[in-house]
This record gives sequence, structure tokens and C-alpha cells, in this order.
Amino acid sequence: MTDFMFLALSSLAIAGGAAMLFYRNPMYSALGLLISILAVAGLFALLSATFLFMVQIIVYAGAIMTLILFILMFLNIQDDNLPEEPNKTKFIAFTAVLMLPINILIIKAVSNLPDADLSIVENSDFGSIKAVGLLLYRNWIVSFELISILLLVALIGAVVLVKKRKKRGTEV
Amino acid sequence: MITLTSYAIVSMIIFSLGAIGVIARRNIFVIYMSIELMLNGINLFLVTFARYHFNMDAQVITILVIAIAAAEAAIFLSVIILLFRSKKSLDTDVFTILKQGGK
Repeated sequence: MTDFMFLALSSLAIAGGAAMLFYRNPMYSALGLLISILAVAGLFALLSATFLFMVQIIVYAGAIMTLILFILMFLNIQDDNLPEEPNKTKFIAFTAVLMLPINILIIKAVSNLPDADLSIVENSDFGSIKAVGLLLYRNWIVSFELISILLLVALIGAVVLVKKRKKRGTEV
Repeated sequence: MITLTSYAIVSMIIFSLGAIGVIARRNIFVIYMSIELMLNGINLFLVTFARYHFNMDAQVITILVIAIAAAEAAIFLSVIILLFRSKKSLDTDVFTILKQGGK
């Protein structure tokens, strides 16, 4: 059962990523990315990271994807706003060949590691919100504070960037 | 049987799809979504190793990565709005001239 779930979720994730890559219309690309993100959330659940499963769905699929789709509709993109990509397939094939060596390197390195049981953990605190939260606030408190400052800076930056500004100089 | 290697293959394929999108596509929206896909692939790798070593530190790093992705989304999308307002295009080649009031 777990094997079947893994196969289904991983093929969904890869198919969503490929759809994102090949569609010309960014709306279809965003929907492909959404499928990929949800499938990765399912893989998190298979790896018994229950809290991350929820965070992935709430933050990625809930917040970031909504933001992307909202901006896509807000910009009202017409077909002639999209770039012409005549050699897209050729470029993608060329880059895929370029990415092959690093993939082979990493998969070879990982396959040399000793095998361990990756099945779902039962009757344990592993990956629960309490255990992860305790770790986050005890051992990773500095990174947590820095991230909160980063989020504040990003919030201010986004507001400052998009607000209407007065034109400087005589040149338009 | 699911092993560490199968998870590694899946996450490396997802990461590579993202990297290919950043390099090969010219639509700036697709480039942004490809960056998100790369972060997702790396997150999957981190969570796999968290389960492999039965240690939750990698899951905490994943939470931090997701927070950074959210911050990045806000900045990147506002920059896209600015660029689209001034050039009416999503082509990265149009954005080579970033001077204000340039042609």
C-alpha cells in the first residue's frame, strides 16, 4: 500500500513539474505547480512529517499559490504579453543534458549509504507539532528570530515597491 | 520496496525540473515558479534524511526554508507587478534595461 502511494504521489509530483515547464500559458503552469506541491505534501506525510505536511498545504498550496494565481488574474495577461519561445523544446532538452551529471553524482552518492527502514512511524512523537516546535524554539531560536526579521523586511519591501510613486525629473 | 534512493531520485528529478525551468524558459512567471519547485525538491530531500536519521533538525530547516519561500514570494511578485506595469510584457529579454525611464 505504501509503495503504491509513493509511486502515485511521486509520478504526480513529476508530472506537475513537467506540466509547469511545458505549458506556454502561466495559468496552466501555476496549476501544474499546485499539483506538484500537493503531491510533495503527500510524500511528507509518507515520511511521517505530519506537521510539515500541514505546513506545506497551508503555506504553499494555501498562501503562496493563492498569491500567484491572484497576481496572474490581477495582471490580466494577454497572449501577446507572453514571450515568444520558438526554441523552447530544444533549450529544455539541452539543459536536461546539462543537469544529468549532477543528478548521477548525487544519486550514486546516496545509493552507497546503508539502507534503513523508511516506513511510517507509529505511536511516536516523531514529526509531530509538539516535538518540532520544541526543537525550533530551543535549538533553532536564533534562526527563527532572523527569519521573523526577514519576513518583516520582505513585507515592508513589497509595500514600498508596489506603491505609486511621484515621477522624478522631467523625463517620463 | 521504497528505499532512500527512490526518494533521492524523485527529489532530484523535481529539483532538476526547476533548474531547467530557470535556465531554459523566458517567461518570468515560470522562472519564479521553477524556483519554488527547486525549493520543494530540496525540502523533500531534507525530510527524507530527517526520517532516515530519525532526527527532526532537518524538518526544522524545512520550516525555515518554507518561511524564506514566503518572503521571496512577496518580493518577487511585487517586482513582477512593477516590471509588467512599465513594459507590458513577461519576457526576461525586455528587462535587460532596468534604468528608470529607459526605452
